[in-house]
This record gives sequence, structure tokens and C-alpha cells, in this order.
Amino acid sequence: MRWLLRRGADAFLTALVAVVLLAVVVHLLPGDPLAVIIGDRETDPATRAALAASWGTDRPLYSAVGHYLAALVRGDFGVAMSENRPVATILLERLWPTMLLGGLTLLIDFTCGLALGLWSALHPESWRARVLGGLTVVGYALPSFVLGMVLVWLFALEFRWLPPAGLLDQTLPLDASLWVRMADRLTHLALPLATMVLATIAVPFRQQRAAALATATQPWVLAARARGVAPAAIAWRHCWRPALTPIVTLLGLWLPMLVGGAVFVEMLFDWPGIGSLIAQATASRDIPLVLGAGVLLIVMVQAGSLLADLLYRLVDPTQRDR
Amino acid sequence: MWQAVSRSGARLLMLALASGVAASLGAQGTRVPGTVVIGTVGDPSLPVPYLGTMNTQNADVGDQLFLRLGVLKPGFRTTGDDALAPMLARSWKRVDSLTLLFELDPRVRWHDGAPVTAHDAAFTWSIAHNPKINENQAAIESIASVEEAGPRTVRVRFRRAFQEQVYRFAFDFQPLPSHLLEKMAPEAIAASEFAAHPVGNGPFRWSRRIPGQLVELLADSAFFAGRPGIARVIFRVVPDASARLNLLLSGELDVMDNVPPANLPQVTALPSFRIARLPGNAIAYAVFNQRSASDSGTPNRFFTDLRVREALTLALDRRTMAGLVYGPGTAVPDAAQSLLWSWITGGTIRSAPPNLAKARALLAAAGWRDTDGDGVLDRGGVAFRVSVIYPDSPTRTKLAVQSQAMWKALGVAADLHSFPGPQWQERHFRGEFDIDFAGANQDASPLSLIEAWSCASARRPGSLNVARWCDPAFDQLLTKAVAGRGAVADWRAVLDRMTSQHPAAFLASPAIVAAIHQRYENAPILPARQWLALWQWRIRPGAAIARDR
Repeated sequence: MRWLLRRGADAFLTALVAVVLLAVVVHLLPGDPLAVIIGDRETDPATRAALAASWGTDRPLYSAVGHYLAALVRGDFGVAMSENRPVATILLERLWPTMLLGGLTLLIDFTCGLALGLWSALHPESWRARVLGGLTVVGYALPSFVLGMVLVWLFALEFRWLPPAGLLDQTLPLDASLWVRMADRLTHLALPLATMVLATIAVPFRQQRAAALATATQPWVLAARARGVAPAAIAWRHCWRPALTPIVTLLGLWLPMLVGGAVFVEMLFDWPGIGSLIAQATASRDIPLVLGAGVLLIVMVQAGSLLADLLYRLVDPTQRDR
Repeated sequence: MWQAVSRSGARLLMLALASGVAASLGAQGTRVPGTVVIGTVGDPSLPVPYLGTMNTQNADVGDQLFLRLGVLKPGFRTTGDDALAPMLARSWKRVDSLTLLFELDPRVRWHDGAPVTAHDAAFTWSIAHNPKINENQAAIESIASVEEAGPRTVRVRFRRAFQEQVYRFAFDFQPLPSHLLEKMAPEAIAASEFAAHPVGNGPFRWSRRIPGQLVELLADSAFFAGRPGIARVIFRVVPDASARLNLLLSGELDVMDNVPPANLPQVTALPSFRIARLPGNAIAYAVFNQRSASDSGTPNRFFTDLRVREALTLALDRRTMAGLVYGPGTAVPDAAQSLLWSWITGGTIRSAPPNLAKARALLAAAGWRDTDGDGVLDRGGVAFRVSVIYPDSPTRTKLAVQSQAMWKALGVAADLHSFPGPQWQERHFRGEFDIDFAGANQDASPLSLIEAWSCASARRPGSLNVARWCDPAFDQLLTKAVAGRGAVADWRAVLDRMTSQHPAAFLASPAIVAAIHQRYENAPILPARQWLALWQWRIRPGAAIARDR
């Protein structure tokens, strides 16, 4: 418990420093923050000054950062300049599509990726393991948006099996059956999810493979084999668990991907999540929105890191006494 | 005299509507409801006039919900009291040079059934000219007051006499329902239930909005001019250009109003779509700063000389550049004239061909020679090296790079600096450049030349005249055209003067290239406000697809 409190305090302080740095950096970004409101209209200096005062873009750096932090403490993320709506509302609207895509990606990566990595380590000389290893590296090496564009071209535009973009078919009748709706959701999810998984699965796969390979030659594994323990039991009991420690760390580091790791994929597939929101907000220099999304990412990073430490202690009992 | 809708005109309108309704009936005599899915770059989060940022996406949705008093006629002329066709106002008459009376059509109702009254107009004025609510006060600056002169008669007073009073009020003004908003604090309206579910008086009524994804509107069967031919309009939010194109290619979007030139062959090859080219309101130009890039108080060492400006324009093969960058149908103007204003020059836009020899002679006459043989002209020890800025869009980048190569042949070194939009905009408005590859979406009215090119605007900080160009002779002609009776010759003289003075190298007046699904008929897209006539669209008999039913 004392460890958890100490670790929690560390996470909070780190997040605080990160938020302050983020606020400073975002306020220092070059470009006119009022451009998102004014556009290419003529604006006289008085109107510009009034707008700057009402949006707080005329404040000196220390004051702007101070105001932001004070508001944050009150739970106020501010108002998005591009939409004139509360940032918190916009983030909440965008959070679940991102969680859906990121969560399923993590789930597949850390189930299929780990299983395949383990299998590959136990059959290192098989041609299938070699092909699998090669394919995952290709997927990892290709930028996700290139991979996505290829998948769209192939499955949406050539074969017309899947929709090229979007979260759902917005022209579906309101009385469409549950099955129709579920099928629609799944078909819309297929391409972005496939892109995300293909682009990321190499990491857990190779980590698990390397860790399991190292474990496979350990004396206790050799002894188990000599005792005639079934291969499945060797894989599960003797190889997988000891090889899990680096994977747990990886899982913690990847949690923020749930929120912000899919900028290009979300843009390409018109997925209305946090990633595409970050891209749009940064391009238009919508300071409150960029800051809100940034704070969310920082919280996710800290939460992921804390979770990784917790899991690490669960997996490795020697850590519990530290 | 009342500019009333003529009886024959009304009959024709009713006949057209009746034929539209008949045509949209299916083979069995049942109406095909019809859907239009339009891709939009941003989220129409507050599509109520005056309440929020009236960006394109909010305005596009707002156009379907809230009627204007009048709409532009074909030809898009904005001058004179007869410039507009009636819409919410069935007629108007002039009282004096500063006052107009508008008579609202008694058939128009709000979507909750309440009648639209002059009180709505007066109330909306109180909202529109409240700077705490509507930050775009410049757009209504010419209007002094809007008052009730009767249950359906609106009296509008202007601050000064000018030939576009009818256009300025009737086209720009969209009344809001006073009976729903009057009891609220004005500052609270933007966050109210009304803003989330607007009640309008237009051809379509609000259905739903899924933030970041779509806005859905449904046809108002009680619309005073007849039920719209399309039952449902979906504005689908697709910020990414590639995603928009993919959705069009896969048939999930029905219309794309600005097909990128690079993708035109791909879209043209689609059998289910047709391409429509419309007069666009955009212009692209390389503007020559009259002030120093580093000190706005100092004249620019290169471009205060007319010969230099003309030389740099003549050095550019603008027609080839425009064709390569924007595709076919792009005009090249010699002044700030988009295709929307082609009525000023007899329906066509012409430009002078490139002339490198003359350009060299002009620079030589201005004292610019390559004395040290380094390929760059110089004068008095100063090399002709200019700082060029542009936003990092594909089109402006291509224009800047091509111009750099052509100016190099002239002996002018152009240092290119590309910036993301907001950073470019900051430098643009501060005048931190020698040459800026800028662009503008021109208002339907040529009066907007005042904002961007007059001496008054050159003196105003923050104005659109970022290059601080000032030509008193141009201003005189502008004043004459503004005060006159809308004579085309006056406006032509304005543009001719600008052509002779070369404040910028005007590079392109692109057409709007729209892809429209073949199943629609009678589907006009209007240049100034693309979707104003959406209610006239209908589905070709027998051509409906699943989402139309």
C-alpha cells in the first residue's frame, strides 16, 4: 500500500510537470491562435483585441499557463476555439471511438501477437515461423497510412467488400435490426483495425518471441522436456510466464496508444476519435483543444506506467519487496 | 415601386416545382424520398447565424435551416435594387437613398408552425449587431438599423448610399425566431437547447447531429415554396481529403463540391458521377509587398517601382501554371477577379501572355542589371533577392515553386518559405514578406475590393490589404463605381486600373469542379453559397438507390 501511495504521488508529480511543460510549449507555438476564429476576414485592431481578451490569447506566458492550470484544478478544460464548445465535451465525444479502435488493437496485439510470438519461439526453424516473422516486420516497417491506403484501395475500392471510412453507415434506417447494426459496425471497424494491428503487432510478437527464445534454453525448460512434460504445458507453464515481464512493461507503455496513437489511421479512415481531433486542433492551432487532448494523453501515459508497475509486481514476485 | 414577383414568374416557379414533384414520383406513383450525402471538411457544430464561428460548414447547414430574404439571380450580379430574386421577402421598395422596406412572405413559417414576422427580423438585428455575440461586425457595418414597420414589413436604414444595399441586407441577413429566443439572455443562446436543435424556416428542418460525424436534416413538407425534392440531407464530416475522395469513389458520398485537380481523372472515370464546372469565387495571386518585409515603416526596395511589378508578372507563364495546378476550366485574370465577377468583363476573363524580353527590358530600365555575373540582378550593390512566403498547401506550393523557376530565368532570386496555415497567416497579416502567395474567396460583390485593395484599407492595421498597396487613381474609380448606379463600365474601369498597376501577379481564377451522382436531376450548385438550391434537387425517376428509400 505504501508503495502504491508513493508510486501514485510520483505519477501525479510527473503528470503535473508534464502538463506545465505542455502548456508552456503550446503557448509558445508560432502562429496566430485567433486565425481559427477570424479566418481570412478583415478584423480591425479593436475587434482583434476584444477577441484576444475574451479568449485569453493576449495574456503573457506565465499568466496564460497559470490561468490554464487554475482552471484545470477546477476541472475546467476550457472552450475549443474552433467549435465554441467545452473541450471536455468534445474529448468525451471523441474518446469512445478511439478507445474502441485502440482497445481492440491492444487486445489483438497482446493475445494473437503474444501467442504467435510464443509459438514462433517454440518452432524457430519452421518455415511458417520465418514467414510470420518476415510479414510482421514488413507490417511494422510500412507507415500505417501507406498500409491503410493499400487496404482501402484493395478492399473498399477494388473489391468493394468493406466501407472505406467512417464509424458507421449514417444512412441506415433508424429501425434497422440489431444484427444489421452490428454487421455495419464490424465492417466499418475492419479496415482501420486491420491497419492498426498489422502496423503494430510486430512489437509484441518479436518481444515475446525473443523473451521466449531466451527462456526456452533455460535449465528448467530443458529439465521439463527431459521429464517428458507435454509441449503445451512447457509453453504455458515454463516458457510463457517467465517471458512475460518485458511484455508487461510494453503493455504499460502502449496504453496511451488507446488515446493518441492512431492519428494517421483515424484521419485516413475518417474515424472520429482523439487522434484525428489532435491533428485538426494542432493544424488550426486551437490552443484549448490541443491542451485538453495533451492532458488526456499525459494522464493515460501515467496511468499506463502505473499499471505496468502494478502488473510487473504481480508477474515477478521478487519485485514485491522493493 | 414594389419589386414584386411577377405573376408569370410565380406561375413558372409553381410549374417548375410541380414538374419536380411529379418527376420525383416513382413508377408506382409513390414519391421517392431521396437522400443527399455531402462531405464537409469540419463539424457544423453551431449552424445558427450570428451565434458562433460562421465557417463554411456552419454556413452550409445554416443555409438549409434559415432563409435569406433574397437570393442571387443567375449571373450573380450584386448591384442595383433588382439584383436579387425574392425568397423570405416577397418584395421590397425603396423609400429613399438610405432606406428600404422589405415585405416578408406571409406563407413562410418557422418549423414549429409560428409565422415569420418583422419582429423576428428586428430581434435578429439586436443579436447580429451585438459584438459580444457576433464578432463579424464588419459584415453589417453598412446597416444602421432594422425595425418593424408593420407585422411583416421590415424597415432597413443604411449608413450611406451605395448600389448594393439590397444585396447587402437581403442576401446576408437570416432572421432567427424571436418567439423562441427573446426571453433568453443573448449571451446564453449559443449554449441553449435552441442552438443544439435549431428551429428554422428553411426548406429543411433539423433532425440530429452526431458530433464529429454528421448533421442530418429532413425536408420540411410545409416549406412555403413547395416540398423539397430530396427528403434527407446528410452533411458528413470528413476532414481528411483522401478519406473524402475514398468515400466518393466508393459511392458513400453523393456530392463533392471541390474535386482536387489531381484526382479529377479518377473521378471523371466513375460512371455513376458527372462533373459540373461552375464559376468559382476563388483567386490565387502573388502579391508584391509595398513595405519592407522586416520593417513595415519602410518602403519595399523592389516593389514600389511599377516596372518591377510588371516585369515579375510578365515573366510568369501563368496560363500553363494555372492549368497544371488547377486543371482545365481555370481562368487567368490580370486583376483581382474571380470567375464569379466575369460579368464585369463580358462573361470572360482574359490575361496578357508572358513576355520575358519585355520583362528583362523593364527591369533594366529600372536599373536592375547583373553586374557581377552571378545570375542574380543587382542595383547599387543590392541583389534582387526576395523573401517569398506561402502556406504549405499543395496548390500554393506548386505555384511558388514554378514561379521561383520562372523568376530565376529573369535574374530574380526568390527564397521560398513555406509555413503551416496559422503561421503563414501571422506573417501574411504582419506583412513579413516581399512576395506572398495568397488567395481569396471573393464575396459575390465587387465592393469587397475596398477591403483588400483600397488606400483606406492599406492604412488600417489588420486589414486584408496586407501588401499596403495604395493607388489614389484606383480609389477614385472605386468610389465612382460604388456610388454609381452599378454600371458595368465603372467596374471594368476599376479592374483595368488594377491591371495596369500590377499590385500582384494574378495567377488563377479556378472553377468549382463538383462531382454529382448521376441519379440527381435539376441539381444546381451555386457559386457563392453552394447548397442554397439543394431543395430543388430531386431523384431521377427509376434511379433511386437503397439509401434514397
